[in-house]
Amino acid sequence: MSKKASNHIARKPGDIIFDTCLYIFFGLFTLLCVFPFYYLFINTISNNDAVTGGMVNFYPIGFHVNNYIALKDVADLGSSVVVTIARTIIGTALMVFVSAWAGYLVTKQKMWKRSLMYRALVITMYFNAGLIPWYMNMLMLGLTNNFLAYIIPGMIAPYNIILVKTYIESIPASLEESAVIDGANTPTVFLKIILPLSVPILATIAIFGAVGNWNSFQDSLLLMSARPAMYTLQHRLYVYLNQSSNLSALVSGSGTLSQAQADNMLSSRVIKYTVSMVSIIPILLVYPFMQRFFVKGIMLGAVKG
Amino acid sequence: MQSTVIPQGVEIKGSGLNKVLLWVMRTIITITGLMIFFPALNPGRISLLINENVSLFTTAMSFDTITDTMGYALKRGMLQNENFYLLMAGAAVVLLGIVLSSAGACMSLGNNRMKKRGMLLPFVGAVAMLGGLVLIYHAYTIFSAAAAESAAVMKRIQPMLPSGLYVFGVAAVLIFVSTLLAYLTLPRQTEEKMEMDEKFRLFLLFLPVLLLTFVFCYLPIYGWRFAFFDYKIGDALTAENFVGLKWFTYLFENAATRADLIRVLRNTLIMSGLGIATSWLPIAFAVLLAEVRSSKFQRLVQTLTTIPNFISWVLVYAIAFAIFSTDGFINSFLRNVMGMTGANTDYLASADWIWVKMLLWGTWKGLGWSAIVYIAGIAGIDQQLYEAARVDGANRFQCIRHITIPGLMPTYMVMLLMSVAGMLSNGMDQYLVFENAINKDVIEVLDLYVYNIGIKSGLIPLSTVVGVFKSLIGVTLLFGANGISKAVRGESII
Repeated sequence: MSKKASNHIARKPGDIIFDTCLYIFFGLFTLLCVFPFYYLFINTISNNDAVTGGMVNFYPIGFHVNNYIALKDVADLGSSVVVTIARTIIGTALMVFVSAWAGYLVTKQKMWKRSLMYRALVITMYFNAGLIPWYMNMLMLGLTNNFLAYIIPGMIAPYNIILVKTYIESIPASLEESAVIDGANTPTVFLKIILPLSVPILATIAIFGAVGNWNSFQDSLLLMSARPAMYTLQHRLYVYLNQSSNLSALVSGSGTLSQAQADNMLSSRVIKYTVSMVSIIPILLVYPFMQRFFVKGIMLGAVKG
Repeated sequence: MQSTVIPQGVEIKGSGLNKVLLWVMRTIITITGLMIFFPALNPGRISLLINENVSLFTTAMSFDTITDTMGYALKRGMLQNENFYLLMAGAAVVLLGIVLSSAGACMSLGNNRMKKRGMLLPFVGAVAMLGGLVLIYHAYTIFSAAAAESAAVMKRIQPMLPSGLYVFGVAAVLIFVSTLLAYLTLPRQTEEKMEMDEKFRLFLLFLPVLLLTFVFCYLPIYGWRFAFFDYKIGDALTAENFVGLKWFTYLFENAATRADLIRVLRNTLIMSGLGIATSWLPIAFAVLLAEVRSSKFQRLVQTLTTIPNFISWVLVYAIAFAIFSTDGFINSFLRNVMGMTGANTDYLASADWIWVKMLLWGTWKGLGWSAIVYIAGIAGIDQQLYEAARVDGANRFQCIRHITIPGLMPTYMVMLLMSVAGMLSNGMDQYLVFENAINKDVIEVLDLYVYNIGIKSGLIPLSTVVGVFKSLIGVTLLFGANGISKAVRGESII
């Protein structure tokens, strides 16, 4: 504290100008990052007439949550929400378990062909066959238009396995040895000792994995073409957004739509905003918890396998 | 065979011949296990109409997939659902036999007692496989009998005796014989308890992970074969439509495709180039943020600027839509606050400056997040360096220039080399969501092009060729970057 104070006294005019510029720059950039979310939000809770008139720019006008209630009538949205929640929970849980299991086993120097196995796993991060062969492979496995396509391929996450491995290597080996002397076998050591001790890293990969699952879009786009009920929330939102942009292109092009149609278009616009908010809110909710793991997640990633 | 039980702890070694025979058995079982994923060897493809791209595995698992192309025959009662259930049951029994054999192969890694117990499984497995194949053959005879009715029915069923039926039959026999030979040469003595060497036990515990990796990461490489055929989804890969390198030369010799490729590569390289050219921004962000005196403000900025990284590109587009579309924030602000009643430009339906716009969206989304690694790096720099520099009379800019930036350079070099190595992979999500009829020519990057021609237009071979080139060049770039890193910094990045 005293060090800060002495620094403060020593500031020159040039420093003050520089500091002010810093505050302005970071203030503006932060505002730029936050304002769009705020703008979306106030447009979903404001009086819909005001929104239609383009009056809601900086602060809400009126207040209601009818738009959120009206979502229950939006076609296909419900199944997308259910599918996305299901894949987020099941997919993340399995991914964390498999990463922990694999990460633990690859720390075992005694494993037959360990380094070969580990390399086979790590290489997949840097090399893939390409989108189309991957798609044809999923087709061959019967994993198109099938919920399992969201779960099974995601179980293997090489990057997360490396994170877990690095973390487990930092756990004192004596803990494990004492359990082995007491007669515990590998699965028991894993469940009773390694899992509880690895909770910090598992929480890290779980939360990143959950966000990834929630945001998933590409696999839904590629694999679920024949089953719209299986679309993830992001894919569903993408479909809505495209309908909307087509409509607005129609309006500006012809200019002959009736007022009722134009109103309908704008309220559909509000619905798009509301669906967007629904996809964003869960992320904002877990965000404060995630933050603690950022630096750990990134810094561990810098440690190579 | 008379077996003698010997005390615990004594190791029983098999003869050299026995070891070789065990490995032969394991190899045969492993190869048979892999065969279930290869559609060309599917013994269940008893009709030409069943999709060529269906493996034995899928035949056993998915009724929808195998009946996909036979709906007509089913609807007209030429074939019954039961016929297909029979086929699936046959495939499932074959799979079960292979699973049993594999379990036996796994147990053959144990001690002699475990070998003796475990190696009974492949016998059962081989018999089960043959039984399953008989079921499939039976389904085939039903198909042919139904097809024999008339030429019209024949056309709807097209029964075929798949070569896979013979291949799997031979495999079952080989499994049986190799297991028998290995079993007969096992040492006579056995231990008291079934045990396995720890190295093999750990390996077997890891095997499921390896299997998943193989199926989802390595098996797709086999899909490169589509590059050598005239293929549309649902076709069969046969000698007739094998076209060799036609699509490879087509890519460069067909004027339209070549022009497309050049255009797409230009977009890709420009967008990646812009990204690389601005890759120092996160460092600047981190260094400048560290200069902010209020740590509360630092934390606030860091928290809020990281949020955009965690929303998907679809949501970024939703935000772009909310801000820049005809009735978005900019236009309604201009209309209602600035009084420009005619403001109704759809900024998204424009190709102007699209590369810079994409860069800006990328920066908006990623800057705060990319800076975190450098913020952590700054926190890790030894504070004594700064104190020493200050004692020597350095001001804050000199400290930044001579301490902070050199301290962050190693991390930056890794990031830079990785982005050079990933130059051809910009991902497709961002460009897909922002793509429209107006900006398509300038926004289409390589990944999006592959998606557009492969999935949307159904040109599987051509898009596979593009993907093959992209994968190979990507690996070359990665090794190149790694080589540079090794030469310059003395350590590798992968």
